[in-house]
Amino acid sequence: MNRSPKLKPTLWDALVVLAVLALAGLLAARPLFAAKTAGELTVSVSIDGETVERCALSSYEGGVYESRGYTLTVEETDGAVYVASSDCPNQDCVHSGAISRVGQSIVCLPARVAVTLEGAASDYDLIAG
Amino acid sequence: MKIKTRELTLCAVLAALALALSYMESFFPLALIVPLPGVKLGLANIVTLYALYALGFPSALSILLVRCTLGALFAGNASALLFSLLGALSALLVMALLSGAKKLSIFGVSIAGAAAHNIGQVCAAMLTLGSGAPLYYLPFLLLVSLFTGALSGLITACLFRAMAHTPYGMKGENHHG
Repeated sequence: MNRSPKLKPTLWDALVVLAVLALAGLLAARPLFAAKTAGELTVSVSIDGETVERCALSSYEGGVYESRGYTLTVEETDGAVYVASSDCPNQDCVHSGAISRVGQSIVCLPARVAVTLEGAASDYDLIAG
Repeated sequence: MKIKTRELTLCAVLAALALALSYMESFFPLALIVPLPGVKLGLANIVTLYALYALGFPSALSILLVRCTLGALFAGNASALLFSLLGALSALLVMALLSGAKKLSIFGVSIAGAAAHNIGQVCAAMLTLGSGAPLYYLPFLLLVSLFTGALSGLITACLFRAMAHTPYGMKGENHHG
């Protein structure tokens, strides 16, 4: 089953590029559809898939999270959340920078920590009264 | 199917090459330019793409399995196996499907493979994290895959031109059917 590939780009390849671009665009636009309710953002921190902290961005004061032998320090300034320091080997979470919009996430795979900004947590109003 | 010694040897050489390329990649940290988790050149995909056309799907699959298993073994990281397997398998499946489309060149197939690789890895990340958070990175990873996919497509095209005089080169007319 030896097939000889075309070695020069064809117009049909542009179709593949467009398909990938369309998929990327759709995924990037995903938070726009979800964020109908204008309001406060919610910070959600999960370790190994379990939410360990979830509160309004304005009342979030950062935190230190320990998981799988790694320690992550998450901080908040001017409505943006970022991983200030981590002792994980690849430092992707620190390099990810700050997040400040709905749907954005910072992921630290070695520590299995995910910090996500969600829309207003009206359904889960923890401070009831 | 009877495997020729020559084909078996080529498979072994390609598996070794794929392993070496995966290792070599760490010397070109693309993540320094594009700070995203999981960003890399995906050079090992060159081997998958070449094997798919020159040797066929079964050989490409075996090379891929050897590469992923040994790679994870050398890195001493079991969770890396899930990432590389899911990524590489999605890439192979998509490329195998698209390589049947006669109108696509090796560039289109390679770009689709690179994109599929990222989708597979994001799925692996979502599985290990138990959270949908990694999905946020996917649009950016897909954009990067356009360039990395085109690059590995270009390199594979060069490889086929260079191998044109061998049975495993561009035309493959000397090769058994």
